[in-house]
Amino acid sequence: MRQLLSDTLFRIRALFDRRAQRELDEELRFHLDMDAAALRSRGLAPAEAERVARRQFGSMRREAERVRDAWGIALADEFVADVRHAVRQMRRRLGYTAIVVLTLGLGIGATVALFSVVSDLLLRPLPYAHADRIHVFWSDYDWRGEEYDFLRDRAGVFQHLAAFSTNGEPYRPNAASADGARLLPFVVATSTLFDVLGTRPLLGRPFDSTEDRPGAAPVIVISYGMWREDLGGDPHVIGRRIIVGDVPVTVVGVMPKGFYFPTPDIRAWRPLALDPKSPSYFNGYLTLLGRTAAGVRPELVSSDIRRIARALGSRFTYPAAWDKTRNPYALPIRTYLTGDVRDPLLLLLAAAVLLLGIACANAASLILARTSDRTSEMAVRSALGAGQWRLARQVLAESLVLAMAAAALGVAIATAGFRALVAVLPLGNGFGETVGIGWATFAAAFALTLAIALAASAAPMRNLLRNGGGAVNRERSEQGLHRGTRRVHGVIIVSQVAFAVLLVLGARLLIRSVDNLRAVDMGFDPHGVSTYTLVTSDNMSTDDQRQFFGQVLARVSALPGVRAAGITNRLPLRDGGYQGPMGIEGRPDLDGTNRPNSLYRTVTPAYFAAMGLRVRDGRGIDSTDVMGGLPVTVISESFARHMWPGQSALGKHIYSGWSGQMESLEVVGVTHEARLTTVTGQEPFAMFVPLAQQTSISGGVLVVRSLTPPAALMPAVRRAIAEIDPRVAVARIETMDDVVAGALVEPLRLRFFLTLFAGIALVLGTIGVYGVVSYAVSQRRAEFAIRMALGASPRRVLREVVERGLVPVIAGVAAGIIAALAVSSLLGRFLYGLGAADPASLGAAAGVLLAAGMAAALVPAARAGRTSPAEALRAD
Amino acid sequence: MPTSSADIIRGTADMLILKLLDVAPMHGWGIGQELQQRSRDALRIQPGALYGALHRLVREGWVRSYWQTTENGRRARYYALTRSGKRRLEIETETWHRLAGGVALILATR
Repeated sequence: MRQLLSDTLFRIRALFDRRAQRELDEELRFHLDMDAAALRSRGLAPAEAERVARRQFGSMRREAERVRDAWGIALADEFVADVRHAVRQMRRRLGYTAIVVLTLGLGIGATVALFSVVSDLLLRPLPYAHADRIHVFWSDYDWRGEEYDFLRDRAGVFQHLAAFSTNGEPYRPNAASADGARLLPFVVATSTLFDVLGTRPLLGRPFDSTEDRPGAAPVIVISYGMWREDLGGDPHVIGRRIIVGDVPVTVVGVMPKGFYFPTPDIRAWRPLALDPKSPSYFNGYLTLLGRTAAGVRPELVSSDIRRIARALGSRFTYPAAWDKTRNPYALPIRTYLTGDVRDPLLLLLAAAVLLLGIACANAASLILARTSDRTSEMAVRSALGAGQWRLARQVLAESLVLAMAAAALGVAIATAGFRALVAVLPLGNGFGETVGIGWATFAAAFALTLAIALAASAAPMRNLLRNGGGAVNRERSEQGLHRGTRRVHGVIIVSQVAFAVLLVLGARLLIRSVDNLRAVDMGFDPHGVSTYTLVTSDNMSTDDQRQFFGQVLARVSALPGVRAAGITNRLPLRDGGYQGPMGIEGRPDLDGTNRPNSLYRTVTPAYFAAMGLRVRDGRGIDSTDVMGGLPVTVISESFARHMWPGQSALGKHIYSGWSGQMESLEVVGVTHEARLTTVTGQEPFAMFVPLAQQTSISGGVLVVRSLTPPAALMPAVRRAIAEIDPRVAVARIETMDDVVAGALVEPLRLRFFLTLFAGIALVLGTIGVYGVVSYAVSQRRAEFAIRMALGASPRRVLREVVERGLVPVIAGVAAGIIAALAVSSLLGRFLYGLGAADPASLGAAAGVLLAAGMAAALVPAARAGRTSPAEALRAD
Repeated sequence: MPTSSADIIRGTADMLILKLLDVAPMHGWGIGQELQQRSRDALRIQPGALYGALHRLVREGWVRSYWQTTENGRRARYYALTRSGKRRLEIETETWHRLAGGVALILATR
């Protein structure tokens, strides 16, 4: 012990002792000069003597290094030499090194990129003051103006209460431009919104309580992005008038950079004027949110929310089917904003970390194999006094070089692929724009890399330090190294296989889940259909809009290749809700508050043909169904069956509209059931009514079925719309196939990533098993040769090797399955039509890993079976 | 050039260096020369091994080093045997004789 201590102290002193270095150099220089002098005295010319002496001496530098090496001094230049050595070693095993660096890099890159997204979206402070005090009420976009006004005076723990909704209107930043108008997505909110959020504008002021009243002059608060991009960052923008819709609106404020509410794609905030005299006062379209006073505990918030629900129940009557007071809660605003993306993001991050774990195991395995290969070399060098420190340093240098190369690659992958990754992540609503790779993440990547290097070299270092003592016996050292190596290899393989099982299982589950989703019959035919979302300004009259739509349909239908063109208010699978209560003829039990809700879709006659919606009974909407004619409707199959079981729905009546002015609609047709709101889950009842019979229209979606590919048609349609009325904005152009894919986007993207990760994991796992088994075979070649010389059959040897190789694989598969069962509830929420503990998928994942392990073990095993007795002699 | 077989046997270097220093303190180059001459060119030591061994012996406390001017007026590091180095030399010499005797006995076997 004392010996070790003084040894260490000497080394540490020598490390810092510059004088010792200088003296050594001087001593060696003296030696060289003396050699040269001796040669000169034997008659050599001085220059020649110098040359010969130098050659005999070897390079001064190398000699000095050899001496220092015996000292065990880690000098900076020695470290450089170590690194060079490491690079040389890696180049000798280029293939394997490339695989390790590539996979480590991929693991680091994926982890870094995903971690950046997670940290920006889920950990970064929201752009609101004391965001933890802001809560969003349940029933999103479902509150009525009258309910808000009622609650305003009963806010309890909520200091401030606000109501908002999202909207959009055409806006042309440059009126002179020939382009059609584009959509300005904005929020309409009560002036209290800014009190709730607690964010001050960068310029100007928020709108105030005199401006969110009916009849007030229109004002607008704009986002930083809109200020910079559309208004050129004009410093005198406050008080400037911009035209939104057809109305001049005064800019009163510019929000600071980085502010968003509720989503980053919103570009402006306008006052919401709640007017008890307007019919919309009684429509549910608002979201409520409130800010609690400082220091209010969460329990208090939930009990107050229950009180609020009771108050609502005592003032308003809710039908049993959608009783708002039944299950009240308030969401912290962060959960409200990012709750949907949190789980998929964390799932992907977990998958990336698993991949990184496998890559680390591979790196450790590579370094371990490299160290073990050089056991004899190391044992000899250590016996010569090279010192295990020097050897350990070399191992460390190799790990560091490997990890740094991987880190560089990882950072390159993360940076270069970041935008692409963000684009395919299931984010949305402009949240992708708010994330980026930050310095913290780079630091994390660096720390991660160091940790990987240390972890990867821990096992071989320990072996070296334990066995590489001064008076080492070559045999013993080698044996010791091998025993330790075998154990570490076992652990590496077990964890690698277990991780791979998890990833393969995840991929398998998502593939099957997506298959299940794809097999769902949508009830319409999305192929060859393009859609154009048209936004008209609020003060374009319904008659003008109807006339505009008529012109658009006429022009577009006449385009070559177009088979049908129709208009609807909401696109299936994209535009969601808009339900209203309906009265049903012959069902007095379903009256009053028991009225069923139905989706209400306004369509033009050709919409059914354009969308591929099939009518099963009666007829569709006709061109004769116009204002003044018989008010008609076509309803969904489930609606008809549920309301009039065992009878034909045709000729029956449905009463729609707000209390007092109910309108009777005659059912003239029934459609096949179609997926209008979600791919999975229960479809609500649906009814289609003629656009021509509506008293109020606000924009619509043009749906075009064509023989020509939709992409080829889009420019012509866009041009036609701009020519008919440049004030109408085409907010969005999408093929119906994309809309359907959009409804499946989360499972599709998760499947993409998990399949990619699983594929890599499988390759890595197979390489790992192969490496370990072939290493074991090479170690036992002599033994095999002798046994075969003594009569063991090659088959027996082969079987034994495969069996031995498969033990850690089987253990890994078992560990993976146990882990999979443990986390199955986490994965379950991403699946459709099967559980996370699906036995078939578990079996498949286990089978794939076992097969890969078997294949990986067979190749070296076959080599073992071919060992010739002569090799036994050569091996020792 | 001497072949590698003429290089000094590992492990014996320490003993030979101690023996030479027992005669007189010397600098490193001098030790190398003495070794070669006294063994009539049978033994040779590479500078790396020589200085490695010297520094190790200093660390063990068997040899001490000091700087001194040579007869031609150059500064050189000299090495001298310490008291414990002397004891070490005795042990090593005895071990060597035992070992060599044993080897000789085996080689004499018919």
